[in-house]
Amino acid sequence: MATVGQFVDIKWKLGVAMSSDTCRSLKYPYVTVTLKVADPSGQITDRSFEMTIPQFKNFFRQFKEMAAVLETV
Amino acid sequence: MLLVLSEEQKAHLGCLPRLGAAAVGELGRLAVELLRRGAAPRACEAAARKLDVGVDTIQHCVEGLTYLLTESSKLMISELDFQDSINVLGFPDELNTVLLQLYLDSRKELRSVLSELAPKLPSYHSLEWRLDVQLASRSLRQQIKPTVTIKLHLNQNEDRTAQVLQTDPSTLLHLIQQLEQALGEMKTNHCRRIVRNMK
Repeated sequence: MATVGQFVDIKWKLGVAMSSDTCRSLKYPYVTVTLKVADPSGQITDRSFEMTIPQFKNFFRQFKEMAAVLETV
Repeated sequence: MLLVLSEEQKAHLGCLPRLGAAAVGELGRLAVELLRRGAAPRACEAAARKLDVGVDTIQHCVEGLTYLLTESSKLMISELDFQDSINVLGFPDELNTVLLQLYLDSRKELRSVLSELAPKLPSYHSLEWRLDVQLASRSLRQQIKPTVTIKLHLNQNEDRTAQVLQTDPSTLLHLIQQLEQALGEMKTNHCRRIVRNMK
């Protein structure tokens, strides 16, 4: 029986933050990722989070490394 | 409106005539202090030693007085009704006067303490916003889609929660319009009349 959530789907979008209440001219790019997760009871919830471009590059590199390791198994 | 006291409460308050009016005044002040600050076992022990009575007796008397004061304050009982309610206990007149004065003196403060016990919804603390432009997504590239992201900070029972919401500019304009309409209601004759009468 699963005791951790199960990954269902991933959605992403790329946006640029143009301005905010604290800074009127931002022009700051970011990536938003939404993970669809099924928790152990079967309930599906959405978990969203944002990343800066450097953070996203790091995120991507982790998955490339995982894929590389799986090749060797 | 008359206050109805249970047999147990009548028994608790029954110890009071024995102690005398001055002592009852003291215990009354102790009861109000307990309602203000919370439990204080040492204060009860000190009172028990000073009046030369058992701690349990003091505890019961204070509990009885606390119930009498909070219920009367909660229901906003008139002077006359308060006097009629305690008459059933058969206390001497001097004691009744002391109790009545205690009630009238502490009523306002007790009512403000009791008003804090009502359930509270989360309340507004602050708002952060950001104007974003979505350029691409997994399903569609080469987009220009403006959105507004809002972080709403709320206070609930001393905790701070933050809720992140997102909307498009036209829904935001609609929201602003609705809020302006709500504020506009304050200026109608109907609202003005009620506000005037409440003051």
